[in-house]
Amino acid sequence: MNGANFVVHALKEQNVTQVFGYPGGAIMPLYDALFDGGVDHLLCRHEQGAAMAAIGYARSTGKVGVCIATSGPGATNLITGLADALLDSVPVVAITGQVPTHLIGTDAFQEVDVLGLSLACTKHSFMVETAEQLGPIIEQAFEIATSGRPGPVLIDIPKDIQVGPSIAYALAQLAETQQPLNQAIVTEAKSLINGAQKPLLYVGGGVGMAKAVPALRTFIEQTQIPSVCTLKAIGCIEHDSPYFMGMVGMHGSKASNLAIQECDLLIAVGARFDDRVTGKLDEFAPHAKVIHLDIDAAEIDKLRQVTISMTDDLKQVLPAISVKPSIEQWQQHISEMKVTHANRYDHPGEPIFAPALLRQLAETMPADTVICSDVGQHQMWVAQHMFVDRPENHISSSGLGTMGFGVPAAVGAQVARPNDTVIAVSGDGSFMMNIQELGTIKRKQLPIKILLIDNQRLGMVRQWQELFFNGRFSETILTDNPDFVTLASAFDIPGETIVVKSQIDDALQRLLNSDGPYLLHVSISEEENVWPLVPPGAANDQMMESVG
Amino acid sequence: MNNTLTIEAMHSPEFLERLLRVCRHRGFAIVTINATTKQQVTHIELTVSSDREIALLTKQLDKVIGILKVTLSASNEDIKASA
Ligand SMILES: Cc1ncc(C[n+]2csc(CCOP(=O)(O)OP(=O)(O)O)c2C)c(N)n1
Ligand SMILES: [Mg+2]
Repeated sequence: MNGANFVVHALKEQNVTQVFGYPGGAIMPLYDALFDGGVDHLLCRHEQGAAMAAIGYARSTGKVGVCIATSGPGATNLITGLADALLDSVPVVAITGQVPTHLIGTDAFQEVDVLGLSLACTKHSFMVETAEQLGPIIEQAFEIATSGRPGPVLIDIPKDIQVGPSIAYALAQLAETQQPLNQAIVTEAKSLINGAQKPLLYVGGGVGMAKAVPALRTFIEQTQIPSVCTLKAIGCIEHDSPYFMGMVGMHGSKASNLAIQECDLLIAVGARFDDRVTGKLDEFAPHAKVIHLDIDAAEIDKLRQVTISMTDDLKQVLPAISVKPSIEQWQQHISEMKVTHANRYDHPGEPIFAPALLRQLAETMPADTVICSDVGQHQMWVAQHMFVDRPENHISSSGLGTMGFGVPAAVGAQVARPNDTVIAVSGDGSFMMNIQELGTIKRKQLPIKILLIDNQRLGMVRQWQELFFNGRFSETILTDNPDFVTLASAFDIPGETIVVKSQIDDALQRLLNSDGPYLLHVSISEEENVWPLVPPGAANDQMMESVG
Repeated sequence: MNNTLTIEAMHSPEFLERLLRVCRHRGFAIVTINATTKQQVTHIELTVSSDREIALLTKQLDKVIGILKVTLSASNEDIKASA
């Protein structure tokens, strides 16, 4: 067994059955080992696609996503995906080939200092220096990727180590230890909740990653405390839960943002006070004491000074602090706000209104459908108007906001969950950023449904230009887009274009009922904006809304 | 404000880069640094300057894989243990 065979063996020991990648010189020994090594490999058509497929795989399952690339350009192409995984705390292990040890530092062909590059975009990274290190490093990489706050880990393996002899390694079987909760803080948390008149849960992506969705739902059922969520936490709370108001922040619901500004106790659960959530930080939840529950101690007091905090496992914390406050007035007020500020889908004229179409799709798609969205206005419309039952079913590049994410993430999700429907909602700008991944869909005949919302614009940027840059539409007009249906057909993906409301019902049926992949290209007006909008630098109750 | 930290870490070739990157990125300028490696452990005396709370840095350093201990020398408080 050489080093490369050993890597495949070690991946299997970590229960890896699927990897995504792209071969090249310095990683050829590993590809040789993968040829019949018993781990499935999907060839993506760009290393960025491979990294994002690994993210989609990880986020749709809770397992570790694995991606592989060669040295130099292969590794640099992974970087955006790694940064995406870092900001969204996704467990990913990336393996890169490196030039042989004796050539490192000589500016060899396809040599880049990948370890150096990795420092700012991974949770941790390794360069394997000797054959003995391979086993322990691979084990540690998986442990680091998944433990505490998850994140991406990179392993750079020089070619000579891949072809050299391997050294057997027995897994260390790290035992998990759980500290008991600090009872004094538990008591204080309960008394804060009990004494609050306007408590509010601010639920973040940490809940899903801690596998604490059931614990959170029980907490909400028991306490009846109203709630809002972040982009990453969509799906954690049932969308029809009585006092749940949807997403908070820049494009959050009006009810959520007003509730935040009014509450007297904010319970932040697996959330990190991101600027897209808080708006003007000094004026965020100005009347609230804060209970911050997050596994990452570095998030506590980073942006908002809190009253009390706990960094324990949410599955342990939530039941311990569950106490029902009497807050009938506040609940009543929340219910009223939900009605007053409910989403509206009335829209004049024939042209398609994307929010209404997405709502209809959410209502008609099969149970346990995974939505992968790209980045822009369409992403926010998905977040506002679609709903899913669990966070694994809403996969959106949240922290990094990476255009081009949707299609490769859908590839990863569809490979991970072959029996579930996977829909990629993309925009005409984003779609072109990883368009080559249509080749991956074709290769594996993945039945991904692509919903392309085409406003012939970099819509989100256009909206800001309209609102904040005097309508000077610098480089956001895409009237020269390709014919997307023809483009898809070049990859054997059938599709159609719709432009008016009366076409929606039948087209959605064809999309959802297609056996293989399908492109539904939806042409919408370039003038539609995402509302409400908290303008940059404003407090969350200063929302701009659509006129008319 | 200046703060002096004592850091112990497992030796690795890129460890100092990791440390310096976190300091810079989190808004702390290096005033002085002294590093010694013996028997696979790197010992660092580090003085940083910033307007930001030192805890913003020490909590990030606590997360750096390979760092064994971060101590704020000025108050001699063991930050890793008390975090
Ligand atoms: C890789 C990358 N480059 C640039 C941006 C900035 N950006 C954010 S949204 C957006 C426009 C997206 O256009 P499109 O995909 O058509 O979506 P729309 O807003 O029109 O729905 C741009 C350019 C980004 N988020 N990611
Ligand atoms: Mg667009």
